[in-house]
Amino acid sequence: MFMPFLRVFPVLGAIAMVFALTMLVPLGVSLWTHDGAGTAFPLAMLVTFMAGLLMRSAVWRVGPRLELQTRDGILLVGLVWTLLPLFASLPLLAYFSGTATPMSFTDAYFEAMSGLTTTGATVLTGLDALPGSINLWRCFLQWLGGMGILVLAVAILPMLGVGGSQLFRAESTGPMKEAKLTPRITETAKGLWSVYCLLSLACVAGYWLAGMPALDAWTHMFATLSLGGLSSHDSSFGYFQSPAMEWVAIVFMLLASCNFALYFVALTKRNPMRIWRDPEWRGSMALLIGSGLFIAGLLLVKGTLTDPAEAVRTALFNVVSIASTTGFSTVDYTTWPVFAPLFMILLSGIATSAGSTGAGIKMARMVILFKQAKREMSRIVHPRAVNPVTLGGHVVESATIFSVLGFMLVYGGVIIGLTLLLLLTDLPFDTAFSAVVASVNNMGPGLNEVGPAGNFAGLSDVQTWVCTVAMLLGRLEMLSFLVLFTPGFWRK
Amino acid sequence: MYTLLPVLNVFSRILFAFAFSFLVPLAWAWSEDHEQYRYVWEGAFALAALSGLAVWATTRRYRRELQARDGFLLVNLVWIVLPAYAAVPLLFTVPDIGWTKAYFESMSALTATGATALSGLDSLPVSVNVWRCFLQLMGGLGIMLLVVAVLPMLGLGGYQVYKAETPGPMKDAKFTPRIAETARGLWGVYFGFSVACMLAYRWAGMGWADAFMHMCTTMGLGGFSSHDASLGYFNSPMIEAVATVFMAMAGINFVRYFIVIRSRSLRPIVRDREIHSYVTVLLVSIGLIASLLVAHGVHDSAAEALRTSAFHVLSLATTTGYASTDYAQWPVFAPVLLMFLGCFVSCAGSTGGGIKMVRMVLLIKQARRELVRSIHPRVVNPVTMGGTVLPLSVMNATYGFMLIYGAVTMGLTMLLLFTGLDIVTAFSAVVATVNNIGPGLGLVGPASNFGVLGDFQIWVLSFAMLLGRLELLTVLVLFTGSFWRK
Repeated sequence: MFMPFLRVFPVLGAIAMVFALTMLVPLGVSLWTHDGAGTAFPLAMLVTFMAGLLMRSAVWRVGPRLELQTRDGILLVGLVWTLLPLFASLPLLAYFSGTATPMSFTDAYFEAMSGLTTTGATVLTGLDALPGSINLWRCFLQWLGGMGILVLAVAILPMLGVGGSQLFRAESTGPMKEAKLTPRITETAKGLWSVYCLLSLACVAGYWLAGMPALDAWTHMFATLSLGGLSSHDSSFGYFQSPAMEWVAIVFMLLASCNFALYFVALTKRNPMRIWRDPEWRGSMALLIGSGLFIAGLLLVKGTLTDPAEAVRTALFNVVSIASTTGFSTVDYTTWPVFAPLFMILLSGIATSAGSTGAGIKMARMVILFKQAKREMSRIVHPRAVNPVTLGGHVVESATIFSVLGFMLVYGGVIIGLTLLLLLTDLPFDTAFSAVVASVNNMGPGLNEVGPAGNFAGLSDVQTWVCTVAMLLGRLEMLSFLVLFTPGFWRK
Repeated sequence: MYTLLPVLNVFSRILFAFAFSFLVPLAWAWSEDHEQYRYVWEGAFALAALSGLAVWATTRRYRRELQARDGFLLVNLVWIVLPAYAAVPLLFTVPDIGWTKAYFESMSALTATGATALSGLDSLPVSVNVWRCFLQLMGGLGIMLLVVAVLPMLGLGGYQVYKAETPGPMKDAKFTPRIAETARGLWGVYFGFSVACMLAYRWAGMGWADAFMHMCTTMGLGGFSSHDASLGYFNSPMIEAVATVFMAMAGINFVRYFIVIRSRSLRPIVRDREIHSYVTVLLVSIGLIASLLVAHGVHDSAAEALRTSAFHVLSLATTTGYASTDYAQWPVFAPVLLMFLGCFVSCAGSTGGGIKMVRMVLLIKQARRELVRSIHPRVVNPVTMGGTVLPLSVMNATYGFMLIYGAVTMGLTMLLLFTGLDIVTAFSAVVATVNNIGPGLGLVGPASNFGVLGDFQIWVLSFAMLLGRLELLTVLVLFTGSFWRK
């Protein structure tokens, strides 16, 4: 038996056991509101807990004082994001098996993956008629996924040097040069999660004050802070028809698109200027707000909307929602002039900051790429000029730049490859392409069939699995998952 | 302030030489068009020759040896101004064409793209079709020089890889001897193939005029035709086979042929990594599309599916752009794969467009290296090509090219979307022009043409062809401030 494989099992077991406990939240809601989903959760909890216990028992083989290495970290991350959706899909499977429309395993796993990767694509219709606890669970998964991502992006990926994520190390909290995973993760988790929880409470309060019912407020807070975008209503935020709620959502989506480590540093150092001076923060904010206003202008000029205040609000909400990879919508924006929806999808790849709960390429990488491209241009004219790429005053190592470029390459390759795969199943081009981009960027709705007015239910099983893999790849920054398939990884 | 005058002087000589190419359609006008359009070609010749002379006379005093920076300007001037001269005769011979379409057409010809804004090709005078096609042959000549002799000197987009293996004096920093040497070697091979191709077309059943025109567009990997139905007009498996073979040969680096002939050994071709990948990708795609066609019942017989698939894969992948049927009607995977192949399959040093296979090989090697590095951070595994370690600067330049390639494709697509075009048409039109392929999908598919687009959209696409042909950076560098600084 290959040792690293065995070594990660106790950790994985512990994570599964904790995950089982989180099911207490929807269970409690279900019992409190008598919504009829009561039996689904205890069953799923039991299975998950037992599976966790079983994996934990591997500790007897490897000894309690194991220390995880880089390779274990990569494997662990891969296993967590493939196994937890499995457990998370159990309540859905259990609940729907009791209804007239049982859910297939493919769909349940997709839905759970969409939750845990904070994507927000759904295969379910008739959300409004579902028990509150099931909807809560879908959104709560996103919130948990968000917690996982924060630790992943700030504590684990930089250690593994995946896709230039060394960049993000500079801003992260906790002992930087520490080579051991465990203390680093604990330290990071403490700092970031406290910020995350604070913002979450503020967001619930905001929604509640804006007039949302308590359960909806919690459900939508979970989907907002994690930039996930699932909702308990088929028409998403359009259900509420409330400008106040939309503004609250805009503010918190913007807040969640930033690096949480930045907030933490600013809080501990009592210096908000730290946030203001960060080049990535400036990039993200300028792009998100600027694009929202630009689209608002476009809508006014093209006559899609006539009231300026409404145009600004609607455009900002939908642009920020898509660009920050959330995926809420108030209207069917695919009926806007064709430039707008595609521009929003393009933004989803680049607008969020590293160390946020958003996905895609990340603003930090874009800043590096932009500077690198500029540098190559000037190198053509002045071949012997020395002009290193800098970020926030520090010179970026060329190895880091190469990792970023390598990431871009794999990112492009994955999108093209998966799109071709979907085309092979006879999906139209714009549906296939937008479904892949929406999944890889963990954004949610695409165009056409999978657009904001439709959902992923119309896809065949094969197509659904392709999108599931795309979400997983996107969430784990491609390389940390793909590396599991190289023989070099498994060699002694 | 950086002065243009020495560059203009060299350019004037190129323009003067270019004027003589008007004699080719003039000859056809004499023999085929009953001298009807003679005055157009004579006038165009006079215009180009006289303006060449005039510029030469006024800039004579500023002659000096060209430097790298001058090289950029010269290349841009050639590919921006020559299409304008080439467009003039079209204005007088093609009904209702207008400047926008005429310039687009001649830019499409000189960049060996093959996207046409004209319909009713069959009823055009022979000399006009000859001119459109002959421009592609000339474009091919220019491209070869550009890629093999000029770009490596400019250190652009990773072409330094080729510095080591091009014929002619390598380390020479001066342009002129290097270019002259290359021209002699490569153009010899190019003309040899061209003659063989023309004879093969004639033998396969084309008339002399058609054989000449299609030879020009095959060797230039351009894809213009004298018929609206492209090669489908002939409905001849033989002609398609000839086209398939010669497109396959023209998609390979001509330097390789040159070396093979000089060293009298096939090893340079058999051992070349780029050619290996080229052949592998082509064979796999042909098989894939053929089986798709059989599976979806487009063709009943496997042999026919294989033939159609081979022709279209070669045509699109080498950025030629011929079609024998409306392949946009095939299952959606097929046309998209064909467009995608056009982005990277042709080899550097061929007359094809796009990213080029050599860059793709480098990028895949680099990606694999990054994967290994994420497991073993301290491992030393430099990227090698043909046994030699590539310097970091080559990788940097290759990546830089890819970045800008992606950004340009996305940016121009957004621009077209902004004008109200649908996504499939906008994206495919940009891909088809940036990679110098020719036909796109949707409104600009193989059964249609670019004439349906608005003026602004056509200008955007003319620019896209120019960008693609000059490997993006050559053009874009002119827009940087540091280029014009002393």
